[in-house]
Amino acid sequence: MAARTEPETQTGTDSGIAAVRVRDLTVAFRTPEGDLPAVSHVNLDLFRGQITGLVGESGSGKSTLALSLLNAIPSPGQVIEGSVELGNGGNVLALRGRALRKVRGTDIGYVFQASQNSLNPLKRVGKQLLDVGRSHGERDSRELIRRARDLLDDMGLDATRVLSSYQHELSGGMRQRVGIVFALLLNANVLILDEPTTALDMLSQAQVLEIVRKVHATRHLTTLIISHDISVIGDLCDRMAVMYAGRVVEEGPTASVLATPRHPYTRALLTAMPRITGDIAEARALPGRPPDLSSIPREGCVFQPRCALATPGCLETEPPDTIEDDHRFACFVTAAETR
Amino acid sequence: MSVTASLPPEQLQQALSRSRARSASRWRILVRTPGRVIALAVVIIFTLMALVGPYLYPKNLPINASDIYAPPSLAHPLGTDFAGTDILALIVTGARYVLLAAFIAAVVTLVIGTAAGLGAGYYPRSFGRPIMRVTDFVLAIPGFPLLMVLSTIWSFGSPLQMGLVLGITGWGGIARAVRAQTLSLRERGFVEAARGLGLPGRRVIGTEILPNVAPYVSMNLMIQLTGFIYTEVGLFFLGIVKYSSSNWGVMLNNAVFQADALTNPRSLSYLLSPLICILAITISLVTLANVGDEIFNPRLRRI
Amino acid sequence: MKLTRWIAVKIVTGLIMIWVVASAMFLLLRWMPGNPAQTRYAELILHGDTPQQAQRATAALYGFIPKQPLIEQYGHYIWQLLHLNLGQSIQEEGVPVSHIVATAAPWTLIMCLSGIVASFLIGVTLGVASALRRMTKVGDGITWVGAIINGIPTYIVASLLLYVFATEWAIFPQGGTVSILYTPGWNAGYIGNLITHAVLPVTAYTLSLVGAWILTTKSSVISVLGDDFILAAELRGIRPLTVARYILRNAMLPLFTILSLALGLMFSGAVFIEDVFNYPGLGQQLLTSLNDNDYPVLSGAFLLIIVSVIIANFLADLAYPLIDPRVRRS
Repeated sequence: MAARTEPETQTGTDSGIAAVRVRDLTVAFRTPEGDLPAVSHVNLDLFRGQITGLVGESGSGKSTLALSLLNAIPSPGQVIEGSVELGNGGNVLALRGRALRKVRGTDIGYVFQASQNSLNPLKRVGKQLLDVGRSHGERDSRELIRRARDLLDDMGLDATRVLSSYQHELSGGMRQRVGIVFALLLNANVLILDEPTTALDMLSQAQVLEIVRKVHATRHLTTLIISHDISVIGDLCDRMAVMYAGRVVEEGPTASVLATPRHPYTRALLTAMPRITGDIAEARALPGRPPDLSSIPREGCVFQPRCALATPGCLETEPPDTIEDDHRFACFVTAAETR
Repeated sequence: MSVTASLPPEQLQQALSRSRARSASRWRILVRTPGRVIALAVVIIFTLMALVGPYLYPKNLPINASDIYAPPSLAHPLGTDFAGTDILALIVTGARYVLLAAFIAAVVTLVIGTAAGLGAGYYPRSFGRPIMRVTDFVLAIPGFPLLMVLSTIWSFGSPLQMGLVLGITGWGGIARAVRAQTLSLRERGFVEAARGLGLPGRRVIGTEILPNVAPYVSMNLMIQLTGFIYTEVGLFFLGIVKYSSSNWGVMLNNAVFQADALTNPRSLSYLLSPLICILAITISLVTLANVGDEIFNPRLRRI
Repeated sequence: MKLTRWIAVKIVTGLIMIWVVASAMFLLLRWMPGNPAQTRYAELILHGDTPQQAQRATAALYGFIPKQPLIEQYGHYIWQLLHLNLGQSIQEEGVPVSHIVATAAPWTLIMCLSGIVASFLIGVTLGVASALRRMTKVGDGITWVGAIINGIPTYIVASLLLYVFATEWAIFPQGGTVSILYTPGWNAGYIGNLITHAVLPVTAYTLSLVGAWILTTKSSVISVLGDDFILAAELRGIRPLTVARYILRNAMLPLFTILSLALGLMFSGAVFIEDVFNYPGLGQQLLTSLNDNDYPVLSGAFLLIIVSVIIANFLADLAYPLIDPRVRRS
């Protein structure tokens, strides 16, 4: 159960090798009134060495998808079908107990939002880091502390002070960075960040993004950033995926998706963003509201109720994925557009 | 200024159906188990007993020297006491004292405790500290010994007096709970908005905080009622307070110390009747307080 | 340093509370209808005592001289208190009150403390179990039982225990602290008999508080289970045992409010329990002195109770920052 003692060294770019492969993942919440679909038939690859972004509104299923990468869906949620495979083999969703705990921490690191209290309020940060290490069989406290100090220094924090602090003594930005330290303490090579910039002021946001960029590069990580803020995704990510009502509706290299969005929802999202320059009236909000779990259409395209391009055919069958040059999207209408 | 008057018709419909759905689900919580329905029935029955009971019987209950400690029969469903008086009559007429005193005590604690809690919670720096010192003091002193000591200078026999004394010594719990609620509500968005608008403190407390504290307080109060009932009965049971006519506590006292009911099977009914009534009403109040807990704390719901 | 200042404030507050209660006791003795001191004084004069003799006799009994101005009486009273002189019993002529309450106090305190410890251990365990098994029969059952026990008055619990276990099935003795057949001392027979006599009263004390522990622990644990840091710990692969410790220590915090109130609640119950089980503790002293109109003893016992509660609260207040770092001042 020993963790990796050094980050894996890579040479060159490793794009093309998926560190995490999500196949046909479906997660639903089982209630007395029936199953509410949170994630439906999602296929997603996180490529080694790349930063992937996951964009969506609240309720789009992005956090559920992220938690499923660690097999941590809270009840009454359940994985109905699908698999999450890690690069070193094995379906995370099939793991239990010790094996699952090993993956959580040594293979994948999860970073919470700054606004959440992700630390035990009664214990000092240093002690909790030791708890993490010891739970994974690392007995050498000094080594753990040394690694923690290095990470904290990388984050631009005063290591000695932070290690002896309690959570309530840290600011929001500090907490976010300490969260990253916890995620990387055992040299995981997959890093998931859930809304890393929400609840932070602009300066702290910029700081955190810089740190993520730096840490991703130096440790050759595979990073997944979840955000409802497209600008963050656009700034940092190599690839991005757009989620709506539990489905990935568009996915591809960030430049491609932002320059030529192919799904009506992505286009609407981008149109809705006011630019710093230009007429604010150009930004148009998307009419309607995102569906809650009980009102997602069961047949046809999930976006159809709000889509300006909807046709009668959209009501009947779910659009399959169309792939053009590594850029994937699911729409009947736009697939027929000539480029 | 009615909120509904300003909504367009469709939204009005929606709002009404939402509130209808809410009361429907509250009713469902109430009747979820038969136990709860029974509890509600018990409380209603005893309240009715307290309200109309004494009117159903003559002012001085008949005594019948030839019919002492009679076993339950058709004429006397619960038997008779040491003077031949029907026990059922004693129970029904005795309910008024017990419930009235508890009710008065509840009102007193409600007024004092809520006022103190709101004041301490809304103005934590100015009023807060002295009020909390007093509250802690009141809370720390053990209630029953205090009542015993007070009984030497004041014999609080009537329901009003009993209620007052119980209330004045027992408002600490509500004050603390209300203060905690107020402190947390104070930081919530809608309260900050009201304060930001420059509304005076009294107004904010009255319109924003009080309605939100009210359900929580009413549940707390039901638990307190059981405590008051148990305390006043205890005071009579040990003979610390004397009362001229009968109530459940006096009956218990007579049953155990005069009728020797613990060893004498004939007077068992005299002991058990008030006892069972007391247990029934306290358990029912506790159950109803649980209902309130589920209504106002959606996390606990099972539906 | 802020810590010592905080301790000093707490001590002063406690002393002020004791002083307030003591002064209230002082006024009590004078407000009683038919001021017994005056009555006594008049009686003695009638029997032929000189005013000085009568005054001294009354002073010895009641701790003050009726004819003196109030302030002097008060000063005398406080002075006596500081010397731990609580006056003399009226019922048992000449016996100092401090002696009476000092012999009674240990019985009550040991019972109450045992009750607090026992109810805590049982109540917290059951509370945790009911939280982990909520929505199941076991969990709901425990909650229901806890709520019911919480609602039943102490005297009913005590009387039931006496009736069932000492009268009907005579497993335990019917009352008293120890049988006279045993010689006091550190021998097994005596200690064993003491314990046998103590079982039912301690059970009564335990039952009076266990409901509150169960319900509060349950809601506290449920609340902590929903906290983010528990999920975070699990996502970091922390061992289940360590996570359990995280949950427990955080859930314990709200229990402290109950702990502060516990001794006070126990003393209220003591009056009934000691009456039912004929236990010569402070509760019984309160009752007998009340019935005998032995006001010095009543006053002294009450004062001792208050002092115990204030000391207990002080210790609890002192301990809390040690457990919750968020309230520390430095």
